[in-house]
Order: sequence, then C-alpha cells, then structure tokens
Amino acid sequence: MLRQSLLKITVTLLPLLFAAGPAAARDDATAPSETAVQLADSSAPASSPPQGDNFKSLDEEVQALKKEVLDLNRELFVLEEELLFPANTQVAVFVSMDVGEFFALDSVTLKLDNKEVANYLYTEREAQALLRGGVHRVFIGNLKAGEHELIALFTGQGPNQRDYRRGATLKLEKGVGAKYVELKISDKAVKAQPEFVVKEWE
Amino acid sequence: MPGRCNKVLVAVLLALGITSASAKEKRPPEPRPLIGTPQLVRDLHWGDVLFYFYQGDYLQALTRLGAAQDFERVSHHGVEAELLKGGLYLSLGQHEEAGRIFKALLNDNVPLDVRNRAWFYLAKVWYQRNYLEESAIALASIRGALPGDLEPERHLLEAQVLMYLNRYDEAIRALERWQPVGKGGDVWSSYARFNIGVALVRQERVEEAAELLNEVGQIAASSEELAALRDKANLALGFAWLKANRPEDAKKVLQRVRLEGPQSNKALLAAGWADSAEKKYNKALAPWLELRDRDLLDAAVQESYLAIPYAYAQLAATGQAAQQYVTAVEAFAAESQRIDQSIQAIRDGKLLDAIVENDQGDQVGWYWQLRNLPDAPETRYLYHLMATHEFQEGLKNYRDLRLMQRNLATWALSVQAFDDMVDTRRRAFDQRVPGLQKTLDGVDLDAMETHKNELESRLAATERDDDVTALATSREKEQWTKVQQIEAVLAKADQNDPMVQEMREKARLIRGKLLWDFNGSFKARQWRARKELRELDVAYKEARRRSVLVERARGDYPARTEEFARRVASLPPRIGGLSARLEATAQAQNRYLAAVAIKELESQKQRLAAYSLQARFALASIYDKAATSNTAGEGGADKGGAQ
Repeated sequence: MLRQSLLKITVTLLPLLFAAGPAAARDDATAPSETAVQLADSSAPASSPPQGDNFKSLDEEVQALKKEVLDLNRELFVLEEELLFPANTQVAVFVSMDVGEFFALDSVTLKLDNKEVANYLYTEREAQALLRGGVHRVFIGNLKAGEHELIALFTGQGPNQRDYRRGATLKLEKGVGAKYVELKISDKAVKAQPEFVVKEWE
Repeated sequence: MPGRCNKVLVAVLLALGITSASAKEKRPPEPRPLIGTPQLVRDLHWGDVLFYFYQGDYLQALTRLGAAQDFERVSHHGVEAELLKGGLYLSLGQHEEAGRIFKALLNDNVPLDVRNRAWFYLAKVWYQRNYLEESAIALASIRGALPGDLEPERHLLEAQVLMYLNRYDEAIRALERWQPVGKGGDVWSSYARFNIGVALVRQERVEEAAELLNEVGQIAASSEELAALRDKANLALGFAWLKANRPEDAKKVLQRVRLEGPQSNKALLAAGWADSAEKKYNKALAPWLELRDRDLLDAAVQESYLAIPYAYAQLAATGQAAQQYVTAVEAFAAESQRIDQSIQAIRDGKLLDAIVENDQGDQVGWYWQLRNLPDAPETRYLYHLMATHEFQEGLKNYRDLRLMQRNLATWALSVQAFDDMVDTRRRAFDQRVPGLQKTLDGVDLDAMETHKNELESRLAATERDDDVTALATSREKEQWTKVQQIEAVLAKADQNDPMVQEMREKARLIRGKLLWDFNGSFKARQWRARKELRELDVAYKEARRRSVLVERARGDYPARTEEFARRVASLPPRIGGLSARLEATAQAQNRYLAAVAIKELESQKQRLAAYSLQARFALASIYDKAATSNTAGEGGADKGGAQ
C-alpha cells in the first residue's frame, strides 16, 4: 500500500519534472511545446488523496450502504447460529495447525457417534491461513447432553512427501453449554513426526 | 498487482501484530513474527476470524468478528480484536467507522504499542480522507518505534503527508531522521532516498537531489519493483537536468532507463529532447524513431510523431518532415476514431463489466486492484485512468457492491430455511407440551413440601423430648410395642404369682436392652435423620427450581420462537431493500465511472486534436516556405522533396 502510494507521489511529482525537457528544447515555432505540456499533464493521475466532490458524495453513499450490508450480515450470522445451533445443544469442531513442518494438510473427515458429519478438503490458500495461525471451524451441529464419540481422520503429506493418514478419537461429554473441540496438528520435533492433539473447550 | 495486494495484507498483518508466531522460516516472503507481540490464539473464535482474514476474505472476517464479539467469545483478544476490526473496516473503505474504532483505542488503558498502531492507522485514515494536518499530528503522536515494517512505513507516510502539505524541508528531515541518507540498500531505503530526491528537485535543489537520485538510479535491482524504482529515479533526474539546461548530464542518466519498461517511452522521448537541446537532431532522431514504432496509445509515442518531423525540419530535410507530418495527421485521425469507438462502447455500459469480469478475485476490499486490464475497446485507452486513485476507488466500490449483492442473494436463500426452522420449533413444541403437562400433573410439589415439613417437625419434637424410641427401626418399634403389650398384660395378672414375677423380670430386661440400644444409637440416628432431611430439602428445592424453569420455558419458548419469527420475517424486506439499493448504487457508480472515463478519453482526443493541429500548422508552414522558395528561385527544385 505504501509503496503503491509512493508510486503515486512519484507519478504526481514527475510531471512537474517532465515539463522541463521540452521547455529546454523550445527554440523554434514548430517545436511542439504545447504537446510537451500535454504529455506532462497526461502523466499526472488524479493526485492522491484529493478527490472530486461527485466522487465523495457517491462514495459516502456507497460507504453508508456497505455499512448497512455489513451490519445485516452480522445479524444474519448471529441469527443463523441462535436459531439452528442453540447454545445448549451446540457442538463445534475446529482445526488448527502449529508450524506444519512435518505435515501438509489435505483434508479432514469427522465422524460423530459413527456418523460422518464433515469431510473438508483444504485449498492451498486455506492451508496457508491455518499455518499462519487461523483456526477453521470445520463443523457446527447439535448434540444431546451425554457421552458421544468423535473420530477425526486427517489426510495429507507427512515427512518426505509421503501420503499420510492419521486418526484421533475423543470421548466427549456434552453438558448443558456449547461444546467446542479443537483438533490441533502440531510438529513433534523429537520424532520428526506430526502430532494430532484433541482438546476440549467449554 | 497481486504482489501489491499481498504487501497490503502483510502490512495490515504486521500492523495488527497478528502474524503467526509459527510462520516457517523456509516458506518464502512470509512476514516476520513481531518481536514482543507473540500471538497465541486464546479464543477459538478469534482463530476463526483470522482464518478468513488471512485468506483476504475481509467481509467474512468482519462478519465473524462482529458475531464473536456479540457472543463474547473473543474476550482474551479484546484490544487486538478492536484493532483488527478497525483495520477491516478500513480495508472495506469504511473510513469513519475505522476512525471511530482507532480513536477509541487511544486511551491510557490500552498498551502503548496498540495505541501507537492506532495512531498510525488513524493517520492513514485521515490521510486517505485528505485531512493532512490531522494525519501529520497523528503520526507525530506515535511514541517510540512501531513494530516490523510499520516503522519505515510510518516515516515514509509522514514524509508523504508533509510533502502534500508543501512542507518539503520537514519531509526531508523526517526521512533523514529515520534513514541516514545514502545508507542502506534495502527497498525502504531506496524509496526514502528517491522521495527525498524528488522533494529536493521540487525545492530546486537539483545538485543535492542528483546525489540521491543517482544512487537510486544505480542500485542493483533484485526485483521488478526495484528496477522500476531505479528507472523512475533516472527519469526524474534526467528531466531535472533537462530543466536545468544540462542535456549532457540528462542523457547520461536517461540512458540507464531500461529499453523495455514502463518508463522507457518517456525516457526515449526525453533522450531525444536532450540531443535536440544540443542541436544534435540526427542523434535525437534515433530514440524518437524507436518510439514511433511503439504503441500509439502512449502519449510519449504520440509526441514522437511530432518530434520526428520537427527534427527533420531542423535538419532542413523539409520533404521528410512534411511526409512525417502527414503520417502524424493520419495516425492521429485513426487514433481519434478508435477513441470514438471506445467512448461509444463505454456509453453502451460495457466498461465496468469488461473490467470486473476480467478480475478473478472474489473478495471485497478497499485495496482491491486490477491485475490486468482487458484488451477491449472500452478499456484500451484507460491504462492511465486506471492508475488514478479516484477511478480505482470507484471501481472498487462498484466491485464491492456487486459482491455484496451476491452475498445478500445467498442469505436470501438461507432466510427460507430460517423460516422453516421457526415452523419446526413451533411444531416440536406443540408436540411436546401434552407429555410435559402429563409429567407435571403427576407431581404434587406442595404435598411434598408439606410432608417434608411434617418430617422436620417430628424430628424436632424427638430431639426436644429426647424421645429415643422415635428413631427406632420398624423392627425395633415392633419389639418395643410387644414389650409394652406384654408389660400391660402382666400388670393385670396376679403379681404374687412367681411365674408372673419371672415374666415381668424378663420383660424389664428386654425393655432395658431395647432402651439401651435406642440410647446408644440415638445420636447416630439423629445425625442420619438430619442428614437425610437436609438431602430431602435439597432435592425438593431442586425439583421446585426445575419446575419453575419448565414453567418459565413453557411460557418463554413460544415467545422466543415468535421473537425468532419476527426477526426472520423482518429479513426479506431488508434484504430486498438493500439489494435494490445496491443495484441502484452500482448503476450510479457505473455511470459515474463511465463519465470519468469518457472525460479522460475526451481529453485524450483533445490532445490528439492539438497534436494534429500542430502537425497541420507545421505542414502548412513547410508548404509556405517551399512555395516562397520556389517563387524566389523561379521554379527551382525543392531539395527537401516536400510533396
């Protein structure tokens, strides 16, 4: 952004300099002095940050509209969760990655009480987002209070670019509040192997 | 352009200090983790927000962040979340909202590093909104150094703001304070030196500027970005020397500009002017003829069409000069016609669709940039226009509006599902109520309470009267009753009868044994009875509490369902209304940008017309001279061969 802005400065300042060349060369009636000025002007984009009034009023209208859409989005998101996944039955499963030296994630499959509830294939961009500290909510659903079994299957590339498939099982006790489960993929440096840890959050 | 977008993202990441501490060293151009700001995801939903943020999906990130804050799920990242929210609003062009959030972070309860970053971003907001004084003040409010790449960016922004305020000396000092002039071969340093150089040129301190621009003009360019900067430095210095009437020096630096690059056309044109200034018209022709074969869309190329005949005329090759002017007039006319076609295509409303369809990105964002301009009649003349801030802003707005329309269309489908869900809730409740009522009817909590109170009274009486028999087991009570019955029978019998006496003695012994047992176990039984009563009390109260909850839920559930129904019902008109406004505003944006584009094309046409006029004038002048010379020479041949 900054460099982009700096380029704008550059281009904004350059026309002033550009005007110099032809001015120095102007020594004859047929010298295209006027065209030189035109060239200088054409090199100048609308300077940043000054903007026209029309643009500003339309821009203000657009910003107000965007704000409304953003607010509505948030309301819809909240409503969706409250309506479809009430807190007392809600269960959500998250995937996170720590370092990822020994494992490149391709997909995650989830089974809840022996029923497949999610099968997610990660794009390169999503995998990168995980590596940088993002956490992906791979599943959200409802569960009755009581004991349940969660099985997670991870596929990807392990050490030495070999196909890798690992599972993790968790017996989870669903209480009255929402239950969050984190499936954390981390590196076990000592063994040069990935490690899959399941962690419960309340 | 993608690189530029990434840099923006990186900048925002760094600014927010949410670069993953686990970024791998072997992975290329990852932003460095910030020293002193280790980022550990302590709330899963914070990580969920980052997941979308890192993908550049700002709309989704902002939506999830807002929802997570509503649900109070990011409490461990309160300040960080606000900073990110401000950044996201800024990235979506919501300057006011972003400014409000950043301002709220400027209090003593917020750590200094966060405050500094808030000042920095506020400075950016104000800069973008053209409040330059406020921006300068905000930048001056930063205490100490900002983390990572934000520090150089801060100083460069400060210099930029000061330059816009025409405070060049201060701008130079700001840059020098941060980066000793002439030191460092990194990108930031090169930009800094370039900017100082340009500022010095504007101050007409060309000698000082030359020192810096010369350095930047000879850096080892390890990337296209640096190579482009090097070209710009050489071009800027070249023009500065031309203006200072030092064409020889100008040529030296202009020759450093790459022959194929964004600045090459201007450099070729200027190189020609440098030779021309030294009256070396033959030499000037070389770069100008090279230029003439390039794309006529470029203004420098257009100007070469006039410069070439001008040089021929100076060389007294009037025939060639005339021929070149004729070629120029024809070329300008053809070009002008193509511009007319472009204007027509834009008037037909094809401009923005041609541009937006060409972009593959699917995220909204204020920093959105075109990757490649499609080659179409609507767009081919607009390279220059596309680079302008105003057009870019408008274009991004247009694209954001279209994306938001699609986003709302998706929600509109979900609303139908919400409606169904509300119905399901209603039906499920109606089905469950009879069973629930039956269960509730089978339980008399008041009777239970009476019974419990009675038991408590009895135990209290037992304790008060020290009635040890009251806590006897049923077997013991039976035995005790029998003893009492036996004693009653024996009391009526002949007391002198030895058998009766023996029986009475046995009864007395049994009575004594029983009382002994009762007394011995009384304390323990009393404690146990108390404990059981306490447990009964707890169980009773729990039953009462649950009963209240069930009763309340029975009342609340339908109300909550109806509240959901009300919220769901309010959505379609809101979505519909907003969609209509999005459509109307997108069209207004389209019209506005089309008008801007047409204005730009008209000005290009005017420039071509002016060029054309000059060419015709020059041509007429040549013909005049030829005619005069013919008359003077009484029919002598024209050596220049003007036709």
